[in-house]
Amino acid sequence: MRSLHIDGNSVLHRLPAAAKLAALAVISLVLFMIDNAGFLAGAALAGLAGHVLLRISATEIWRRMRPFVLIVVVVALFTAVFNGTGEGLTAFFRLAALALFASLVTATTTTGDFIGVITRAAMPLERLGLLKARDVGLSIGLVIRFVPEILSRYEVIRDAHYARGLKPRPVSLIVPLIITTLKSADEIAAAIDARGIRSQK
Amino acid sequence: MDIHFEKVEVRFEGRTVIHPLDLTIGGRRVGIIGLNGSGKTTLARMINGLVKPSSGRVTVNGFDTVERQDEARGQSGFIFQNPQNQIILPLLREDIALGLKSRKLTKQEVTAAVDAILDRFGIKHLGDRRAHELSGGELQLAALASVLVTEPKILVMDEPTNQLDLKNRNLVEKTIRTLPEDVIVISHDLDLVAGLDRVLLVHEGRIAADGGPGEVIGLYRAMQGAKA
Repeated sequence: MRSLHIDGNSVLHRLPAAAKLAALAVISLVLFMIDNAGFLAGAALAGLAGHVLLRISATEIWRRMRPFVLIVVVVALFTAVFNGTGEGLTAFFRLAALALFASLVTATTTTGDFIGVITRAAMPLERLGLLKARDVGLSIGLVIRFVPEILSRYEVIRDAHYARGLKPRPVSLIVPLIITTLKSADEIAAAIDARGIRSQK
Repeated sequence: MDIHFEKVEVRFEGRTVIHPLDLTIGGRRVGIIGLNGSGKTTLARMINGLVKPSSGRVTVNGFDTVERQDEARGQSGFIFQNPQNQIILPLLREDIALGLKSRKLTKQEVTAAVDAILDRFGIKHLGDRRAHELSGGELQLAALASVLVTEPKILVMDEPTNQLDLKNRNLVEKTIRTLPEDVIVISHDLDLVAGLDRVLLVHEGRIAADGGPGEVIGLYRAMQGAKA
């Protein structure tokens, strides 16, 4: 399985995961409260600079950002069409900055640390008897684990099309992607049960 | 190990996968062989409670796999066919630690347990590596470490040498031979099974033979030879 985490010993790597997630939440709020395209472009550049400082290659930055590109471009285009170019640019830089800052957090935080923070954050709800905090942490951790895995599967299925001289089409890509992902999810769920990670009680 | 199948039957969607079965598995090293779809994986998965019998009961070291599932699971570890799906978190060290989360251990105790198990399999240098960077043999050892860190008494392995090259296959075989835990190995690798104490041949959901490896493997070869 691939991971979004990148090894390192930078200041960001050493910061507690809870602090990084809290900072990301604050940054997200600020980005949505400010409508100045210039400021938002600067924020996006700062996010990009963060990747450069972490010595993340351009290829890797592109790999990490690729899933967001379509969403960012489509939202920006719709906003531009309905609300004008300025608003479109604002939406583009806001979402790009958000994706870049989020990528900085995932690059410097291990999945285990994410699970730890989410589990601790959900503990008050467990005390109220609403849920099991460990299950919430594990669920979020599995989502983070699956994002790059699904991308890898997509690439394998797409390459299988090319190898057979077929042009990849949405249906012929998505159907096997869903089936293989669900089969894999079943096995992982069984492994979680078999290893006693999620108690039945 | 002390595993009992009492009048166990498994049915899926109207089809009987395991016919009514009474079986005791004891001893140290037991192999399960049979054709694809014969029911051997279903049989093994019942030991860990991953498959529940449609009727009858399975007990592992005295614990019913349905009524006392957590305790029964604590007795046995399960290694899946594809170790990629067994490793849940990307970093090996983190993944092994995940299995210890339900125990009330301090961070230092978890680190010590993870170090000890990595050391036991000679893969301490892989602790900070990601699962997708490991070779097939390393991945199989990593899966072993992730399961054995919780100290189960029995280890069930489903096709542990599947898709491995000869070097990695031999590494895994050597590791299995030296494991102090009781082992149940499901495999098409007859050379691997030949080194075990007892072998069960599963055929069309029934135990077709049960005995020493030479005798049962010979019968299996004869059955398939007769059909060819």
